[in-house]
Amino acid sequence: MILPCPPLDRSEALRYLGVRGKAPDDITALLERAEALLCEKVKPRYVWRAVDPPDFPGEDLARHLAGCRTAVLFAVTLGQESEELFRRAQSGDMALAVTLDAAASALTENCCDLAETEIQKAFPDRYFTFRFSPGYGDLPLSVQRDMIRLLNAERLIGLTVSPSDMLLPQKSVTAILGVSDAELPKARQGCALCRMREQCQYRKAGEHCGF
Amino acid sequence: MSIVDFNRFWILDGAMGTMLQADGLPLGDRPELLNLTDPDRITAIHRAYIEAGAEIIYTNTFGANGHKLANTGHTPQEVISAGVAAAKKAAGDTVLTALDIGPIGELLEPAGTLLFEEAYRLFAEQVTAGVEAGCDLIVIETMSDLYEAKAALLAAKEHCSLPVFVTLSFEETGRTFAGCGVDSMAVLLGALGADAIGINCSLGPREIRPILEKLAKETSLPLIVKANAGLPDPATGAYGVSAEEFANEMAAIADCGAAILGGCCGTTPEYIRALKNRLPAAPVKRTVLSRPAALCTATRTVRLNKIRVIGERINPTGKKRMQQALREGDFSYLRQQAVSQAEAGADILDINVGLPGIDEVETIRRAVRAVQSVTDLPLQIDSSEPAAIEAALRLCSGKPIVNSVNGKQESLRTVLPLVKKYGAAVVGLTLDENGIPPTAEERLAIARKILSAAEEYGIPKEDVLIDCLTLAVSVQQKEAGETLRAVRMVREELGLQTVLGVSNISFGLPERVEINRSFLTLALQAGLTLPILNPNIPAMMDTVAAFRVLSGEDAGAEAYLALMASRTEAEKTETEALTLPHAVEKGLDTHAADLCRAALQNGDDPFHLINGVLIPALDRVGDRFGEGKLFLPQLLRSAAAATAAFGVLQEHFAKTGGGAPTKGPIVIATVEGDIHDIGKNIVRVILENYGYRMIDLGRDVPVQTVVDAVREHKAPLVGLSALMTTTLKSMEKTIRALHEAELPCKIFVGGAVLTPEYAEEIGADYYAKDAKASVDIAKRLLG
Repeated sequence: MILPCPPLDRSEALRYLGVRGKAPDDITALLERAEALLCEKVKPRYVWRAVDPPDFPGEDLARHLAGCRTAVLFAVTLGQESEELFRRAQSGDMALAVTLDAAASALTENCCDLAETEIQKAFPDRYFTFRFSPGYGDLPLSVQRDMIRLLNAERLIGLTVSPSDMLLPQKSVTAILGVSDAELPKARQGCALCRMREQCQYRKAGEHCGF
Repeated sequence: MSIVDFNRFWILDGAMGTMLQADGLPLGDRPELLNLTDPDRITAIHRAYIEAGAEIIYTNTFGANGHKLANTGHTPQEVISAGVAAAKKAAGDTVLTALDIGPIGELLEPAGTLLFEEAYRLFAEQVTAGVEAGCDLIVIETMSDLYEAKAALLAAKEHCSLPVFVTLSFEETGRTFAGCGVDSMAVLLGALGADAIGINCSLGPREIRPILEKLAKETSLPLIVKANAGLPDPATGAYGVSAEEFANEMAAIADCGAAILGGCCGTTPEYIRALKNRLPAAPVKRTVLSRPAALCTATRTVRLNKIRVIGERINPTGKKRMQQALREGDFSYLRQQAVSQAEAGADILDINVGLPGIDEVETIRRAVRAVQSVTDLPLQIDSSEPAAIEAALRLCSGKPIVNSVNGKQESLRTVLPLVKKYGAAVVGLTLDENGIPPTAEERLAIARKILSAAEEYGIPKEDVLIDCLTLAVSVQQKEAGETLRAVRMVREELGLQTVLGVSNISFGLPERVEINRSFLTLALQAGLTLPILNPNIPAMMDTVAAFRVLSGEDAGAEAYLALMASRTEAEKTETEALTLPHAVEKGLDTHAADLCRAALQNGDDPFHLINGVLIPALDRVGDRFGEGKLFLPQLLRSAAAATAAFGVLQEHFAKTGGGAPTKGPIVIATVEGDIHDIGKNIVRVILENYGYRMIDLGRDVPVQTVVDAVREHKAPLVGLSALMTTTLKSMEKTIRALHEAELPCKIFVGGAVLTPEYAEEIGADYYAKDAKASVDIAKRLLG
């Protein structure tokens, strides 16, 4: 399904670019150009499906979904159009390429937020966990393959997974939401749970990825 | 019954997966395995569709390829032969069994990493198994990437003589997920010899109809539609359109000219029965189209109905830098040339890699892949070596031009069959065993001979393009006029498109561009439609733009006005007094090049410019980046400005001899399994600036390829990049292999998830936290 392109969270894109403090004018101009190119070319798509809580490996997802009778699997992709932009820019204007990359990463997150909002409309008066993706905690990346298959994502939104469990197109996310009848304890999330904690660039810089 | 009669309706079956899921197949399970475990269940579904009226049934083999069946313990051959058997058991003698082939499930490069040859191999395996099991025809369906469809169609054509149907899945935008439109689809699949083409899946008949209407105007091939039962409900996956509505909307599609009709996701025998009952007795008669010749890539169609510029820069003849790039396998240089020509307005890109002593077949393969990865312009394969032409034709994602055939029997006999097989257009040079004839009449006669030979091979007339040959006016002055006269005669008497390599005219004269642009104007006026030129020389593109206005092609001079407006915009920037180091630090590439040129004219020592001006400027930028006062895009802009200045210096050295010694080489790669290569590319750009010769192996690079490259180039330093935790393992393997091969190289590593500790643990010599750190490492080791 086509998702309307949400506004880009520029501060997030700047954070991915490593820009701290107020962005210099030339970077702002570059980001505006990247945003315009993305808005013109990119067609975000999403797909979702309500299922019984899936029996995926690891303990963290099960803990995350505790108390939820239903789970929603979903996937979001910016589509192949975004990647054509990066490929071309990398052979001409590398500065634009890295800015596009950062902006597209931020836009993917913005699309996930929008997709979640859309999905939540189908479940009035229910409560949701935050989105949990393969690679979080001890949920292995190999689950990407199951997510793609269960969502029929290849046919429905053109999203595939490489032999090394990477999503293609690259600017894509799969995630799992728990749906509960009762209110859930606030934000079961954070670095303590994350298996990336030792390598995390955000954590090294004293920041947080949002997990 | 083995040959399909296209003057009648053919009813196809409906969905297999929907029936199996309704019957309890768990979501996400591979339905193809039921061919082995429960073939009777599959036969029963086929029977139900036949009873409902299906005359062609698709085998339950959609995902039965080597990639999707990996880890199931079964081969495509087993699954397909069981699938065909299950279908044939239901089909009896009256119904046709179509071997169903779906997408591989992994993206082909450049979007993914799957190579065209590997895709071809997987498809060939399926076709062979299906044919051995006795299928009656091949259907390639649900394709999104036209390039993948080409691999499948080629595999089918080369492994059987059965009819082949090809259908793609479109979104409501009229494009596939991979960006393919009905125009490119019709051009390429028609040229490659598909027997019928059409649309399946993704949409219901109501959404498909407008797309089918467009497709019907693009092709005279029989049309197929296998629509979904509407669009799925996201929460449940259920489809919304009833059998009756489906049949009504499919009947409207039949009115648009489709004659091979069935159902895809969400449809059941009830839908097929309703469809059969709703169709009239015979399909509508379609009028055969005459359409202008067209070239295409998977995502763009270029019609040859007006002036189209062919960019000439990917050709080593007389270009030292291109020669060096081809010899060293530096395909990033080719990619840059492709992008800059596309941005300058080229419509088609010529690719010529012919150099003495080079492996032309392998080099042209790599060149085609490189260029296709960054532009969507159709290609012109420029070679005199049939093996190289064929290698390039196989890998082209669309319909290219072959440059060239000529009037010699040997040439006609070897080149034209390739042009026909791969569905290309072809340039015919008006020369033969007796050389280039002096008069226009004789050249026309050769053009006529080439055309008739092409038509004998079944190549459509509009795909034959004639080059009347430009000769140097400094040597053969009279013949400039003959060439122009020949162009006019070919246009008027044969009605063919014409090609000329424009800049040959000025060979041996000073200020060549003056001669070139005047000749171009005359040639365009004589009827030249496909000038081969350097689009990065503004005077040449301006001449084309001006001619388009004068000839009326550029209605309202809109394109001309836009071009000139963009130019004044660019000229306005920066009028303040700048120095070369400032231009680099501020990342102003045009200024940096201009200032560098001025400095050379001023008599500045080029080595001083490198070591005393440019490198210190880059160091200052690097330091400020390290201090967090300047950010990555700015660092890269500065690098680009320095590159522009180095380009000027290289030109200078090329003229005067000598040149800056290069250091290195440094081999860099994004490790196997990892496709995130932007970090590696940043490092390459920055290190190149410091004068290191970079051997960039690309992304998803197998361990052995790294080892071989380090050995071949005797590289003292290797850089490896990985973005994901999962691919750090490949990084470790690559390092181990380099150590085991006892190569005397140092290894530096980088990537988002790496830490200095981890780098040490996996045996790397250095950890580079960013591009600046890579420079520090290289300086320390290589000076």
